[in-house]
Amino acid sequence: MTRKLLLTTAAAALATAGLPAFAQDCPIKVGVLHSLSGTMAISETTLKDTMLMLVDKQNEKGGLLGCELEAVVVDPASDWPLFAEKARELLTVHEVDVIFGNWTSVSRKSVLPVIEELNGLLFYPVQYEGEESSKNVFYTGAAPNQQAIPATDYFLDELGVEKFALLGTDYVYPRTTNNILESYLKSKGIAEEDIFVNYTPFGHSDWSKIVADVVALGADGKKVGVISTINGDANVGFYKELAAAGISADDIPVVAFSVGEEELSGLDTANLVGHLAAWNYFQSAEAEANDEFIAAWKAKMGDERVTNDPMEAHFIGFNMWVNAATEAGTTNVDAVRAAMWGQEYPNLTGGTAVMGVNHHLAKPVLIGEIQDDGQFDIISQTTEVPGDAWTDYLPESAVLVSDWKDLECGMYNTETKSCVQIKSNY
Amino acid sequence: MSDLTLSPPARRALVLRHPSVLVFLAILALFTLGVTLLSEGMGAGVISTSFIKTLGKTLCFCLVALAMDLVWGYCGILSLGHMAFFGLGGYAIGMWLMYERTRQIVADSLAAAELPPTAQEISDGIASQIFGVVGASEFPPIWSLAHSLPLQLAAVVVVPGLLALVFGWLAFRSRVTGVYLSILTQAMTLALSLYLFQNDSGLRGNNGLSGLQNLPGLDHVPQAWVSLWFFWASALALGAGYLFCAWLVSGKFSSVVRAIRDDEARVRFLGYPVEAFKLVVFTLTAILAGIAGALYYPQAGIINPAEVAPIASIYLAVWVAIGGRGRLYGAVIGAAFVSLLSTWFTGGQAPDLVLGPLRIQWVDWWTVLLGLSFVAVTLFAPKGIGGLVDLIGRIKNPDRHGADLGPDAGALREREADQ
Amino acid sequence: MSKTIKRLIFCLAVMFAAPALAQDAEAPIQKLLQEHGDVIAKSSRKTIGPAIDALAASGLPAAQRVLERWQAKEMWRDEESGLFVFAEEIDRDTIRVFDPADGAQIGAVPDKGFKQLKPNSGIRGMIGAALVQFQLGDPDPVTRATALDAIERDPEASHLAALRKVVDSEGDPKLKARKARLERLLTIRFDEDDAARIEAIEGFAGDPAVDVRATLNPLVATRVEFAETAPQGDDIARILKPGDAALPRTEAYALLVKDGIAPPILTRSDKRTALIDNIRDGAVGGYRVAQLDTEANRDAAYAGLVEAGIASAAASEAEIDATLAGYVFFERFTGARPTVARSALAALKDIETKVGLNRAADLVLDALSLASIYFLAAIGLAITFGVMGVINMAHGEFIMMGAYTGYVVQQIIPDYTISILIAIPLAFAVTFGAGVAMERLVIRWLRHRPLETLLATFGISVALQQIAKNIFGTQARPLTSPAWLDGSLVLNDIVSISYIRIAIFVLALLFLGLFLFVMNRTRIGLEVRSVTQNPRMAGSMGINPDRINMLTFGLGSGIAGIAGVAIGLYAKVTSEMGQDYIVQSFMTVVVGGVGNIWGTLVGATLVGTMQKGIEWFNPSNTLAAQTYMILFIILFIQVRPRGIIALKGRAAEA
Repeated sequence: MTRKLLLTTAAAALATAGLPAFAQDCPIKVGVLHSLSGTMAISETTLKDTMLMLVDKQNEKGGLLGCELEAVVVDPASDWPLFAEKARELLTVHEVDVIFGNWTSVSRKSVLPVIEELNGLLFYPVQYEGEESSKNVFYTGAAPNQQAIPATDYFLDELGVEKFALLGTDYVYPRTTNNILESYLKSKGIAEEDIFVNYTPFGHSDWSKIVADVVALGADGKKVGVISTINGDANVGFYKELAAAGISADDIPVVAFSVGEEELSGLDTANLVGHLAAWNYFQSAEAEANDEFIAAWKAKMGDERVTNDPMEAHFIGFNMWVNAATEAGTTNVDAVRAAMWGQEYPNLTGGTAVMGVNHHLAKPVLIGEIQDDGQFDIISQTTEVPGDAWTDYLPESAVLVSDWKDLECGMYNTETKSCVQIKSNY
Repeated sequence: MSDLTLSPPARRALVLRHPSVLVFLAILALFTLGVTLLSEGMGAGVISTSFIKTLGKTLCFCLVALAMDLVWGYCGILSLGHMAFFGLGGYAIGMWLMYERTRQIVADSLAAAELPPTAQEISDGIASQIFGVVGASEFPPIWSLAHSLPLQLAAVVVVPGLLALVFGWLAFRSRVTGVYLSILTQAMTLALSLYLFQNDSGLRGNNGLSGLQNLPGLDHVPQAWVSLWFFWASALALGAGYLFCAWLVSGKFSSVVRAIRDDEARVRFLGYPVEAFKLVVFTLTAILAGIAGALYYPQAGIINPAEVAPIASIYLAVWVAIGGRGRLYGAVIGAAFVSLLSTWFTGGQAPDLVLGPLRIQWVDWWTVLLGLSFVAVTLFAPKGIGGLVDLIGRIKNPDRHGADLGPDAGALREREADQ
Repeated sequence: MSKTIKRLIFCLAVMFAAPALAQDAEAPIQKLLQEHGDVIAKSSRKTIGPAIDALAASGLPAAQRVLERWQAKEMWRDEESGLFVFAEEIDRDTIRVFDPADGAQIGAVPDKGFKQLKPNSGIRGMIGAALVQFQLGDPDPVTRATALDAIERDPEASHLAALRKVVDSEGDPKLKARKARLERLLTIRFDEDDAARIEAIEGFAGDPAVDVRATLNPLVATRVEFAETAPQGDDIARILKPGDAALPRTEAYALLVKDGIAPPILTRSDKRTALIDNIRDGAVGGYRVAQLDTEANRDAAYAGLVEAGIASAAASEAEIDATLAGYVFFERFTGARPTVARSALAALKDIETKVGLNRAADLVLDALSLASIYFLAAIGLAITFGVMGVINMAHGEFIMMGAYTGYVVQQIIPDYTISILIAIPLAFAVTFGAGVAMERLVIRWLRHRPLETLLATFGISVALQQIAKNIFGTQARPLTSPAWLDGSLVLNDIVSISYIRIAIFVLALLFLGLFLFVMNRTRIGLEVRSVTQNPRMAGSMGINPDRINMLTFGLGSGIAGIAGVAIGLYAKVTSEMGQDYIVQSFMTVVVGGVGNIWGTLVGATLVGTMQKGIEWFNPSNTLAAQTYMILFIILFIQVRPRGIIALKGRAAEA
């Protein structure tokens, strides 16, 4: 049996090695791994539609490498184990060349081992907690230093906030982000007792007590600000309670990392005007590319639909992949990966996104104020900030860097000068 | 249909008394062999590795469905919490898998350091790797046994068993029955899942345990083989579980259990310790579920609290009901049929149904179909798919004159009505 | 539009605008703006201060208008000339510009080349504070209120004098009270005279308002210091003992280390680094490197290094204690002069107890509100499950259907008040119909098979959820309450409850009354009770049990629909919202006792209070509260399997 095993492995190895020599297999398949049912369908269906739109557009332009692109859509149904199963199915059964997918961190962690084992390629479009850099994943969403840290700086410098309430949904993204922020705030001289942390379950709806707690924080005369990593539809109840309590953005500003145009369409924003969100993209950004993108989206999906940050991330990711594959002349994962480093593509908000060797994008950070029409008024926009896979504000991570080009390692300890591990933490 | 017959005085071998057991085992063996030969690991490659995993997981579902059938179909306890035990089994094995894999990574990386690592440094390294994602870096006490495979394997059996024992003792002692018990079991699994969702539970909260498909120390073995191993193990467990269940439901024990289902008060008046019988069944099935879970999650690759949410246990009841409760093969058929069909429909491969201007996409409408077919089965075919066997076997059901005898076979009243 | 025409229009616009722009460049206000042009354009709170101060102090008549328009994001800058104009947007690409000097309209121009100044809320607050001097005496009461808002947010010493000037002349009694109160607060904060401050502090005795505490707390700020001998002086708040809760040992020692008085504590990693630095030929401190895999060996090796004089010795615990014993640690008032600080401290202590009581009161309100929500969600279930004994797992989906009905009505009728008034009966009708249909088609055939009813209704629940998803999409839908339900009833800064919650509470009471009335005072109630107790007997008395069951079930479902509208108003409308309430609703009914509406009421109160109570003990983890509540319920059912209010006798067997 061992012999047979050896033989098959050898055959497989031969086949893989021989791949680039063959002409490109047509059609080129693009896997779309977004939940179309279950809790996360709320956010992810939009991304599926975005991908279909992008693929169609590329086909109109003549496809890629002389081939038609074909989108393979599967439904992992917001079921994390199913993500791994569907990813394997995409890579082995449908033999897709690239996967665009995932929203939650836990689903990404579920997919990681499969992608790494089968040497697939995943584009992950959502802002996340960082502390990861996989060989086979390109992170087109924001790392903490591209969203959370600038927003906190904005609170500290521009709004003069001295006391922080970190409210989050109880899962990995808020947990890690709040951890980083706590450590960052302490480094900025904010005392531990001036940081209030609270976690609520998914879909939480009874916010009266928590909002009252936040108001009570102001009792020692310091300006209070809320940093919200509350996820999904729990935001609806949270903002309704805020509005009911009459908390204006001038008294207690709230900056949210998971609330975009899409989430705001679920509520009446008249009472929320002035509260903030930090993203790398807002629909209200004035740029020609953005107008075009919005027009195409509305033409496909209907006038009332809005665009949001993860959609832009897919837009950039997909176009970068197309360009990288064109440059490499193949969709072979290793070749495309090499071509991706340093790949540039214009942002929808103006400026240029650059893919770093740590598989994170350099993107501008935007801070917007909620307006009564459910859109954001952009009041602050930075230049491009390169994404940092390992945060500088946690002692264990500060010594780590990721460089897939020269160091060939996603988790390199600069102190011991060694690669901690090639594969990722799951 | 010989499971209709009650135990005759002269005891023959189990499989002779119940040819369905033999048939089932034969089919299972043939299926396993066939899948193995066609698998990627064997070189044929007709069946992809991902499908082998799906099949392996389906077998685990079949095993837990057997447990559900035992507790519901035979004992009449509609437990809406058995997936909690399934999940606990998964967590127990997952802890070891995760610990050991991380330990090897950490040991390798620390071996390059200037000073040889102390035990404490290794332990800290593992903890920060495992809990880094949830913002902690210390081992919670719950992990104190995670370094040992035998102890965690024992936990696969002990933890669900103990929980079932305590919960069952409390519930049965205070005579909670019927729908109350169902709701109570549902509350139990909800409480467990909410507890696990907390980061303070020490099991990584919503993230759960992941990367379980990579067996520690076996990095060089391709998943094609690992998946086959687990497939065999699952098949073996299912076969053994089926045999065990068949043995359990063939004896006097089972007669009492079924009598409890049909009329608990009468059995109690006859002097049987009803609570003890129920407790034994409840605990045994919980253990069975735990074992199924321990085999399932290394194939799924990740376990998290959503897996023990109440909905999972309700689906378990759905499988058994559709397959036909009160007969072991019914549970297996139901679990396999529904879960494979779900995979097919949600996979997006099912062709759209075009009804004139309407275009029905199964990804959207499959759940509706499942829900409605479930209503239909309860209303029109309480025997489920297993009832087809009766049709083929030309087994005539007694005319019940409207009285409800339960949809299953084997109760004494059934025979009385038949005569 | 062709390129030439575009260009022509642009030229025209520029020609039209250019003289005006050139002209206003000479205006004093424009000159002042230009002086600070770069800072204003940079728009950062850190650097903007001088610009705002200069504008406010300029004494120019246009200054107030410029500040106001700037605050309202209506000021733009011509990127080429650097001149500032007022502008309003006509559409996405064109703006109408005005001269800041006199507010005269200049004309409509394309917005290319102009950049809107977007002061963030920090800067807007500063502008607001600067505007106070102009606005406090404004004839418009709204403007005066705005000024007061600005003072409340960003009080400055200069506001005190300005405020004192206008307190007496204020005509509006509400505003006058506000001004007077603000004046007192500012006195505490900024007055030079200690006696006046103390008097003001004493004036607020026992007032638990947040702004009072916010004013007092900074006064009692202290700093931890140390000295070799016990300090003298009345600004010493208290003496601390290292090792107490207020000053842990390590922190006390760290203070000494910071001042260079004591050597730092050696950490493990310091030790490790020292060892690594001194490795010679694979050995250090008399140990081979391979042996250093335990802390004990590393300590011994380090001791070897110390002995060899290569490393400095680590401070032992005893040494640390000895060092600490040599110093006295104390807190010194830093927020205000000692007499003021002590007065503030006393006032705060007084307030503290009041705050505690108010918190408790607020918690009770929250608990009641949550209880009423659970009650409302469960009351329909109390009818179908409690009275008829039918388990309806699709109950949550009826709630969802009600909420979506409300949403659809709001899409058709834009007036929120009318739409709610229509939505409530309509939601009842829709879910009543659905309930009746379900009873006729499914539940009737499963009578006496409660477990199968449970499963069949679960199937319906799954199907309904997915159908809602297919129709309305997965995104949460807005269901907005009418304006008169916005905001909250504020008793004081601590005790408040939103009107929508009060409305839900009232609705819950209304339904309780309705239920009692229907059950006890009407013919149908009598029939329902008789059918529940003995359907055959009821049948022989001429009651049609099938019809009664159908109506009862419809009633229960209809109430769920109304509950859905109410819940949608305060929380969210999604296809999964029913799931959030179904288990809790069952718990409520089971804990309270089946078959008795009072039981459901008690159950809801218990569940709501429990959850809030646990949340209070563990404020940072709401999930834990839910977990422990469910565990409690499981244990509670052990004690009282039939609920708090259990039916006795034959009715219990029904």
